[in-house]
Amino acid sequence: MKLLTHNMLTSKCMKGVTVGYPLKINAFDVKVSEVDFNPEFVSRIIPKLDWNVLYNAAESIGQVEDMPKSIVDDYENNTDFLKKVHRVLLEVEVINGELVCPETGRKFPISNGIPNMLLNEDEV
Amino acid sequence: MDLKTPLFDLSKFKNVYEPSEDTFLFLDTLEQELQLILSIKPDFVVEVGSGSGVVITALANACKNISFCLATDINSEANSATAFTAKLNNVTIESINMKYLSNFKPNIFDVVLFNPPYVVTESNEIKGTGLNRSWAGGKNGREVIDEFLKLLPNILSYKGVCYMVVIKENKLEDIHNVVVDLGLSCYIVKERKVPGEHLFVLKMYRK
Repeated sequence: MKLLTHNMLTSKCMKGVTVGYPLKINAFDVKVSEVDFNPEFVSRIIPKLDWNVLYNAAESIGQVEDMPKSIVDDYENNTDFLKKVHRVLLEVEVINGELVCPETGRKFPISNGIPNMLLNEDEV
Repeated sequence: MDLKTPLFDLSKFKNVYEPSEDTFLFLDTLEQELQLILSIKPDFVVEVGSGSGVVITALANACKNISFCLATDINSEANSATAFTAKLNNVTIESINMKYLSNFKPNIFDVVLFNPPYVVTESNEIKGTGLNRSWAGGKNGREVIDEFLKLLPNILSYKGVCYMVVIKENKLEDIHNVVVDLGLSCYIVKERKVPGEHLFVLKMYRK
């Protein structure tokens, strides 16, 4: 699971959960692998992100490195910044671990990079 | 524009739907629609019920460096098969075990693909998370389709488009009315008769 995916996931569909976002990450095994850098794609995605959630997620698994805490001005033209965001969004991957619902504490296991978000019938 | 048919090897995944006539019709449809799909610059592309992963892998390959591609399935073996197929073809797909797209933020997907379980069966055949879920559609083959359609207005982004495979027995005119009532447009973009099945692909998007 990449942190871009984490930015999109919620547990709001569970019974009794009102926001369900962001999910906490317990990472047991994290991998960083090289992914082709496309500045145009990263620029397009940045306005769609919940930036604080991305930053905190990266920090919580020790992968923030020197990515700034806030989005810099004129980021479309700042290759250095876009590269740092690219790394956190697409190169960092949680291979094994769990996602945790912030309201109920329900754990969703991540194994071999695949989160299991499937709920039991009595949970929806 | 060409859409490359991905390599696949399901020898390790016995409980996953093997690409068949419907899959290949879906691939041909995406090839036909590719120029249009690329023209909307999709940020997030997703396949619901990805099975072998062949369809989303083909599109991910065509959208390399343009889109972020994801795939869900309730069958965990299908999640692994999708991840395996993506890797085999050197594309990035985030594979997730999930029912429909229920754990995603609303209205984020620009392209949604769904080859649903459309076969007419008894309702009680829709159970568990195994291979039967890739085809068992219940009454008129519509039970899963209708559940998904109700969610669609909360799935599609403002420019989002959904492609879905159906068969004649699913009652196309009725599906059209259901989709229009949801405030979406609905068109047939592909049709093919194969032995035993009259297949269609529908395209749905906001008016």
